[in-house]
Amino acid sequence: MVMAFGTPGRDPEVLRPRDPAEACRMKAALGAEGVFVAGGTLLRTQWESGAAKMPGALIDLTALPALDGIAEEAGALVIGPLVRLSDLVRSEPVAAGFPLLAEAVRRIGAPSIRNLATIGGNVASRTGDALTALLVYDAELIWRTERRTETMRLEDWLADPGAGEGFRLLAGIRLKRAGAAAGGRAGRIAGGFRKLGRREAFIPALVTVAVLGRLTEDGTLAGVRVAAGGGSAVPSRLRAAEAVIEGARVSPETLVRLGEAVAGEYRPASDAFAGAEYRRRAAANLIAAEWFTLCAPDRKEGEHDPDP
Amino acid sequence: MILTRETAGGRWRIRPDGPGKVTGRLKYLTDLALPGMLHGVVLRSAHPHARIRAIRTERAAALPGVRAVLTHRDVPGLNAFGISRQDQPVFCSDRVRYVGDAVAAVAADTPEIAERALGLIEVDYEPLPVLDTPEKALSPDALKLHPHGNVLHRSEYRRGDVDAAFAECVHVVEETYVTPRQMHTYLETEGGLFVPEPDGRLTVYAPTQHGLLDRLQLARILGVPEEAIRVVSSPIGGSFGGKDELNIQPYGALLARATGRPVKIHHSRRESVRAGLKRHPMRITMKTGIDASGRLLAHRVRIVADTGPYATLGAEVLNFATEHVIGPYRYANLDVEGVSVYTNNGMSGEFRGFGGNQAIFALEGQMDRLAELAGIDPWEFRLINLRRMGDPGPFGQQIAQTDGAYQVWVKLKESPLWRERDSLKRAGEASASAQSGGAARPPWIRTGIGAAMVMHGFGLGYGIPDPAAGRLRLAEDGRIEAIFGYEEFGQGLFAAIEALMIDTFGIGPDDLRIVVGDTDRVPDSGSSTASRTTAMIWQALRRMEQPFRRKLLEAAARLTGRAAGGLTLAPGGVADAESGVLLIRYADLAAKAEETIGAQVHFHFPTTDLERIGAHFLYSYAAVAVKVEVNLLTGRVRVLDQYHAVAAGPVVNPMGYVGQIEGGSGMALGFALLEDAVMENGHYLTGNLDTYLIPTIADSRGTVAVEPVEELPEGDPYGPRGIGEIGSVGLAPAIAEAIHEATGVRVSRLPVDPALLIRRPEDLWKAVDGR
Repeated sequence: MVMAFGTPGRDPEVLRPRDPAEACRMKAALGAEGVFVAGGTLLRTQWESGAAKMPGALIDLTALPALDGIAEEAGALVIGPLVRLSDLVRSEPVAAGFPLLAEAVRRIGAPSIRNLATIGGNVASRTGDALTALLVYDAELIWRTERRTETMRLEDWLADPGAGEGFRLLAGIRLKRAGAAAGGRAGRIAGGFRKLGRREAFIPALVTVAVLGRLTEDGTLAGVRVAAGGGSAVPSRLRAAEAVIEGARVSPETLVRLGEAVAGEYRPASDAFAGAEYRRRAAANLIAAEWFTLCAPDRKEGEHDPDP
Repeated sequence: MILTRETAGGRWRIRPDGPGKVTGRLKYLTDLALPGMLHGVVLRSAHPHARIRAIRTERAAALPGVRAVLTHRDVPGLNAFGISRQDQPVFCSDRVRYVGDAVAAVAADTPEIAERALGLIEVDYEPLPVLDTPEKALSPDALKLHPHGNVLHRSEYRRGDVDAAFAECVHVVEETYVTPRQMHTYLETEGGLFVPEPDGRLTVYAPTQHGLLDRLQLARILGVPEEAIRVVSSPIGGSFGGKDELNIQPYGALLARATGRPVKIHHSRRESVRAGLKRHPMRITMKTGIDASGRLLAHRVRIVADTGPYATLGAEVLNFATEHVIGPYRYANLDVEGVSVYTNNGMSGEFRGFGGNQAIFALEGQMDRLAELAGIDPWEFRLINLRRMGDPGPFGQQIAQTDGAYQVWVKLKESPLWRERDSLKRAGEASASAQSGGAARPPWIRTGIGAAMVMHGFGLGYGIPDPAAGRLRLAEDGRIEAIFGYEEFGQGLFAAIEALMIDTFGIGPDDLRIVVGDTDRVPDSGSSTASRTTAMIWQALRRMEQPFRRKLLEAAARLTGRAAGGLTLAPGGVADAESGVLLIRYADLAAKAEETIGAQVHFHFPTTDLERIGAHFLYSYAAVAVKVEVNLLTGRVRVLDQYHAVAAGPVVNPMGYVGQIEGGSGMALGFALLEDAVMENGHYLTGNLDTYLIPTIADSRGTVAVEPVEELPEGDPYGPRGIGEIGSVGLAPAIAEAIHEATGVRVSRLPVDPALLIRRPEDLWKAVDGR
């Protein structure tokens, strides 16, 4: 079988940096001819489809074990970008503290892909399904450049990746624990993540939504965060939707208002297989259904609808 | 009785080729390799429609490691192929008509060099307007894709006066049904190994559904006698009709001949999508009317099939669709017309169901719509019009009589799934959220149950050469060889032959050797297509049984000094008929017999006497019920449970029978909900399996209950009917009806677009609140 990508008969050079600074130097020197690679699952699909050419050099980030692993910090969890998706799904601290992230990652690709693909690659793609979940946890990204380390809110980076993007390297994803974040109000943190694809499994998302908030005693949600993405859409927070849900009771009227809010601010992707209007409706419905489910009086602890 | 491992008992045999396949131990033909073999690749057209001004291969030929670069100038024989009509160029010379058209081929030392050489071949194209719909191709000012124009074939059938009848109808339904360009998606993409032999012959190791026909086609292309070619064509990693026509064989054969070295070709999935066959996309418009009692007075049908650039079996598929849009019902007046149109889209051709899938989807859609208009239960409505034992076939032709249609109708009506629908209806909840397994569903989940009737003709039909043959032989080593020109492509051929041989002769599985898929060894049994194979093996064995048994027993009698009448065939050898004591092993019989013991038979597939090309004589029937749920949040549909009643005569191999129906229904599920090779301006938008979606195991939920109706009329001489295709037909219309039951929405285009079923937020919450 002949693969249709790359320069025929020529494999790219594989560079193994010794530390993140060297990786950045390599990238700066090579420009477009050098590409960071870890699992390589997304790159492979781009090469195969012709969406991207195989570059002259692959800068192999798996040579940097410091970027692997999940570490506890004071009031936060720091996930290394080299953590494989399958390891992330199995992580107890992630499941306990950030279940929407685990749920989002569990639905990416297929097992063989999750065994190779890394969370760093999913984030760096700017359209990965994990981003929708990370947004409602208000994650921070730790970046390494040749000389220093800087931290940026994920939401800010998605809104504007800034200059020099290619010359910095994702070094960590910081998730603040809920107790340290909002504080004050009583009640359990509750949320849900839903993914819609064209098939039940092993399918890129058309729409992803995540809803997170603190259940109050009167059956409403407070401190609400809502995010949506899917396909080639860069995920984003939906502030108007958050405002509708915040402190409100579920009713046909509020559900309809929520749908209008989502339709007003969600910017879906569109392609030959699913149009923007369909995706907009689906996002509105899925967010509303999540809110409806979270606030349903008969909802049992630990119960969740596994599918959208 | 539902057919399962338990109910089949001892007849549930592990298929002989199963372990090798599930462990990956089996070598397919595309796994073969030889030392020193070259790698072949094909240059496909850059445009869906263009004139070729010039082809320059010098730079490619000069690349080190390149052993041959071939174009239309290098075809010694006929530069064309096609099972039915040879209008597809092996290599295009002055015109390309689709993106899979071959312009050149390269053989090189490595796949990488071959691929690089393709990039060095210079082709000057002059792009032409792309005829990417049948409507464009039929317009009077469209460029002609072939000298005779853009119509491959027209078909028609008329009886009575539909216009007059419509005036009498109490209810009339008019609807247009649109079906997708489904891909076979066999696991093993097209490929093979082509080996020049020292004696000057060529051995072709490449999958096909009819080795002898490939041999004929390749002999024409190479300009050599058929005997100079040997085609080894089994085992095959799936075909579903898609490998019946030639694919890579002309290129492998020409490259091997040009270089004198073995050449291997194996398509990537992307090239398989680009060059390979698909199911004909069809647009079927039906206008159907009934009288006050629900009787069908008039049925007008117009079929437009997009056959792509070349003929292959497009005409035959249209003929089949024409027969099956009439289907298993009685009509007072009929007016059916079909046209199969050449376009610059992908190649359409043979695919499991053969035009029946599209036809029955449309026809059953009409039945459900009419029943609703008339206020009659949809299943009872079908019975009002169902053809019964003694009725002629769809064209009024003489057919082999069975009461299969009624038998499966009754089975479905009595099935647990249909009873569940009745009870839901009675409770007035059929379209509302149902309770299932005791757990409450979220309010946006709606369930529904629908059903469909299927008629499926098998065999190639009247007027088409449809030979059958078989040979039995006691080989030198004592194995009994069953020799047929059929192919194993996953459908369970070996298991069927083994079951029939054991059941017919009482021998053991270890006494048997199955010989198929090698043109040097097999008789012309016809193609392994059209659901015909198992039936033809059964009929061949029925003809060979007595002579072969007699010869074996007589030889044994001579050698043992016993009377032939007191002997019987048994596992291991010939035994005393009364005591069962083994008297002589087959190996000893073979060694000591004075002459070869064998039998062979040639006959023709039974046909009707109506002189109408493709009209069938033998039919299978099925009834399918399905339960689906529709998620109003997203419009997505999930199949929850299926029931299939199949009337096709005796079950030859229970596991294979269930497998054919389950596998077929999986393809129908894809056809209904997921699969479409989408094209834009003659280019595929779905170039690989990341966008062309087949069902995963997560999409294939619930049970698939299969209930065979084995009973045939007294004295029926034809035995088991075909079941290879019928399972792929009925699920799609049943799903469409179940969706209607769940949501009130009628679906007439496949695959179902969730955008039709998703509720707008404001409607959704009203609906949810109102419950």
